[in-house]
Order: sequence, then structure tokens, then C-alpha cells
Amino acid sequence: MSDHLKEAGLRLLRGLARHAEPIMDAYLSGSIADQALEPGVRERLLKDGILYRPEPGADLHLRRAVRALLEEALRDDRNRRIDANTGSALASFKTLAEHYKEAHHQGDYAAAEAYLADLKEHVYAFGETLSHGIRVLWSRINNEFGYVGTLDAKIRENELAQSQVSALLAGLELVNFEVLAETAGDLRELRHLLVTNLQRTIGSCAQELSIVQGRLLELLGRFREIRGRTRLIKGWLLHLNQHPEYQVGPHAAGSAIPALFNRAAPALAPASLSLHDPTREAELLALLAKVRSLHPRESRAQALADAPALTLTVPDDFEVRSSAIRAAVDAYFCEVIDSGEPLSALDYRDRQSLSNDAESWLYQVLGGYEGLPEEQKRYFELETIGEVHPLYSGNFIIRDLRLWLA
Amino acid sequence: MLSTKGQVIERLLDGDFICRTTNEDGWRFLRIPANREQVDAYLGQLNRLVATIGTGPDSEVFFCGYRALGDAERKKISEQFRDICQALTPLVEWLVLVQDAAGQDAPLTEGMPIRLNELQTVIEDTPAFREQLSHLCSHRLFYSTSVDVDRQIKQVFSRLCDLRYLIRPNTEKQIYLATGKLDYLYEVIRFIDDAEGLNLEDQAESAVQGQLL
Repeated sequence: MSDHLKEAGLRLLRGLARHAEPIMDAYLSGSIADQALEPGVRERLLKDGILYRPEPGADLHLRRAVRALLEEALRDDRNRRIDANTGSALASFKTLAEHYKEAHHQGDYAAAEAYLADLKEHVYAFGETLSHGIRVLWSRINNEFGYVGTLDAKIRENELAQSQVSALLAGLELVNFEVLAETAGDLRELRHLLVTNLQRTIGSCAQELSIVQGRLLELLGRFREIRGRTRLIKGWLLHLNQHPEYQVGPHAAGSAIPALFNRAAPALAPASLSLHDPTREAELLALLAKVRSLHPRESRAQALADAPALTLTVPDDFEVRSSAIRAAVDAYFCEVIDSGEPLSALDYRDRQSLSNDAESWLYQVLGGYEGLPEEQKRYFELETIGEVHPLYSGNFIIRDLRLWLA
Repeated sequence: MLSTKGQVIERLLDGDFICRTTNEDGWRFLRIPANREQVDAYLGQLNRLVATIGTGPDSEVFFCGYRALGDAERKKISEQFRDICQALTPLVEWLVLVQDAAGQDAPLTEGMPIRLNELQTVIEDTPAFREQLSHLCSHRLFYSTSVDVDRQIKQVFSRLCDLRYLIRPNTEKQIYLATGKLDYLYEVIRFIDDAEGLNLEDQAESAVQGQLL
């Protein structure tokens, strides 16, 4: 009998190996078309119960058992099936235990041995199914349901996983050790299997399931928060579109200010260096090295060429006229250097109440900047603020200028 | 050099938000209750305390609040509130733009990276996003007169770095990280939503369903 079984099993496994390719195709794409298989192979696979046809005219699908084997071996994420049917497992334990007891009492030890081995197989398989279920749940938690794309799908997957956890926990509650102990009676082997062993398995599974449940809830909370935030910001824009006049209420005014808005204003003024602390010399030198020097590079001594003949002539008369506006531009540049902050040219003009009109003032500032020697110009940045001419391309109308230290 | 405690106090007094992204050492330091008490005691002398927002244990954000509220403090607080309310709409528009352009279904939160080059490519290739960006630049917060996507987006990002909503860990790379201050922003919107009963989430939800129909 067992020789025959072994023979048949080997044949089946060899069949699987021989047709590995179509089986994997069917696994990956879900089904396989009739034409993809040679008729002989197809018949063989159908007869061995590896493939089946779910309805007439449909493509061939992998049998659940084969698919489960592959999912398990490949640790496939798509594996969502969890067997939570504790009731039928318990019923089969009980039946087999009764068989064993009967055989034992009748003194048929060979049969009792066989029943015990069968029962062992069932109990171990029960534990294995439970831990498999938990493993599947963990693998889904660990990649945060990464196998589905959208947040809503993740939330649904999470809810499915939670219902599976609840089902598993409800199944575990069905296990009543008093009844099992009664079934086992005073037979040592049976007691060991049905009480001690099962208790250990179920204890560890229940513990792990509660951790899984906690993690699932946490993840769900996070998904919901993310979704809530998306809706919050989209809702905000929507609300503003529908109510353009909307103003935020004075939440930070009344007598009780919400803790959220209780933010202290910055209270640190810039500190200065202590030049008298000799222990800080290295840091100070490092700072000094970073300070950009404004001195132009020393012109290197040049070898003098032969001097041309020197003739003295009367120089032409010229006069440097100081202009008020040019002096004001210089003052503006100095102000930028002193403050170190970006300063708008028009703001400066208004603040100093200069009499020049805006346009000539801007011209003059622009001219003053362009007129700087190249090495001084590098220390400033000038930004032109204005807009492109609405009609004619390539024209830029300057409304204001802003100058700061580069 | 300052100790971690000193640095944390300095950052807090400077009005900074301390989160995992901006200052991981300080953040870990403050998460230990004994350390937080010490900092609190120190700040107490300056009429300040350590305030916190955040839902999860890993997403806490610390900032500095006032301990007792006098007139001067109230004035400061309402000034800051006004500032943040003015910044709210442009910032939300920016968040939506970044989220839509990246095709993500999660909005930007603390620690999430933005690759400016990728974002820019998507925006340049999509007229609707370009329009949104131009609209964004018309707000005073990001004010830019340029018509060029490159300059507009650089201006927006540099403003956001100035305002400490973003940091740029490596100045040679165009990768930005969102800071805990953004989480604060969400909290503010959520608060306003709750306080004024705006039902923003429901509005967004029904709008989405309306589109689907």
C-alpha cells in the first residue's frame, strides 16, 4: 500500500518537474490557454490534478494546492489567503482521538499507532497553518501593503488583514482545553499531544496575533492620517475657491490662546566674538580666513621698460563737478554695505526723501552700479524688479531696483 | 562647543522647530523626559517652555512657547498667527502642486524628500502645473516676477528654505527634505477646520466623488 502511494507521489512530483515551465506560466498569469499546451501534456496535468478548468470553455487554472505550495515557497505577497477554520480542525482531532482510544482499549496497538501518527500530523498541521497565517500577515505589514498602489487600496487591504486577525483569534477561542483534556483521558501520549503541545502553539500564536493586531491598527491610523491630510489641504483650496472672501477667525486673540498657537518669538540676538579669549584663537583664525578682503590684489612690481622721452605739456583744464544725485547714490551703496541687508532703491529714496523723480533716480543707481570697477562690482548684487511689456516682447520695464551684498 | 542641551536651547530660543529631520540629536535628546524637564526648567527662567505637536512617537516636533501670557506675549502670538494665516494658502497650494506633480497619494510630511530636478521636469512638461506655479509666484510669500519655470521654482524653494519648511542637506544636490514645521502647518489647518466647523475633509471627499460621477 505505502509502496504504491510512494510510487504515485514520485510520479506526480516528477510530472511537476517536467512541466515546470507551463505551471509557472499559469502561476504568474493566473491561467494558461489550451493552445499553449500540447494535448498529451494537457491531459496529463488535468488528470494529475495540477490544472483544472473552472468552467466549460475557460482557460486552465492551477489547482489551489499547487498554487498554495508555490506561494508559500516563494513568499509571494499576493498570498492573502488565511485558513481560520479552527472548528473543523478541532472536530477532526476529536474524531481521531476517539479512534485511537477505541483501538487502544481493544488492544489493537498497530491500529492505535497509525491513528496516533495521523492525529500528530493533524495537530502539527494545525500549528503550521496558524504560524503560516501569521507569517503572511507580517510580510504584508512589513512592506506596508506595498503591493497595492493607492492609499485607499492600502486601507482596504489593512481592513481585510484585520478581519483575518479577528477570525483567527475567534478561532483560537474555540479551543477549549477542558474538553480536550477530557477527550484525551488518561492516555499520556494523547494528553501530551492535545493539551501540552496545543497549548504551547496556541499561546504563542495568540500572543503574536495581538502584536499583529496592534501593528495593523497603528498602520491604519497612519494611512488614515495621511489620507486625512490630503483631504485637508485639498478641502482648504476648495473652500477658498467657493468662499473667496473667507478670512481665518481670530483664534489667537481671545483670552484663552490654544497651545498650538503659543509660539514664542525668536529671542536670540547675534553674539559677537570674544577677542580676548586665547583658547579660541584657532576658531578666530579660521573665521578670519573666511572674511573676504576688500583690498584689491597688490599689483606686482613690473619690470620697467625703457622710458620714452619725457615731455612736459600744459594739461587741459578740467573740473570735477560734484552732483547731488551722484552723492546720494554713493550714500545708498554705503547704506547697503553698512546694513548688509537687501535694500530697494525706491524705498531708500522715500526714506531719505530725495527730491529726484523715480526714473532718473533708478537710472542713476543703475549707472552707479555699472560704473563700479569690476572688482568692486563683484561684491554687490543688483536685482531689477519689474515686468515684461504686455505687448512688445523683449522689453522689460524696470519698476524698482534692489541691491545687496553678494 | 555647546553641548546637545545647549544647542537645543539655542535652537528653541531662536524660534526653530526641532524635529527628526532638522536636528536628530536634539530631537532624541528632547524625547527623553528627564532631558526635556531640564530644558524646560532653563527656558522657564525666560518665561518659555518646550511645546510639542505630533501624533506618533516618531513624529514629534518640539518648539518654544510662552509660559505666562502677558500683553507683550499676546501681541507676539497674534502677530505670528497672522503671519502663518497669510502664508497658509500659498503653502497649501504648493503642497498640492508638489503632491500632484509627483503623482503621490500622500502629501509632503516631515522627512520626505523632494528631488527638484524631477519635479521641475514634470512641471515644465505639464501646462496645468506651469500655470499653478505661476499662480503660486503671484503670492507675496514667494513673490517672483520671472516667467521662467526654472527661476520661479528656484525662488519658491529658496523661500521655503528661508522659512525653514524645507532643508537642503547637501548644497551641491537639488534634493530637499520637508521639516517638522510642515507638520505644524497641518495642525494649524486642522485646528482651524475644527474650530470653525469647515468640514474640509468632507468637502474634499464629496468633490472627489462628484468628479467620479
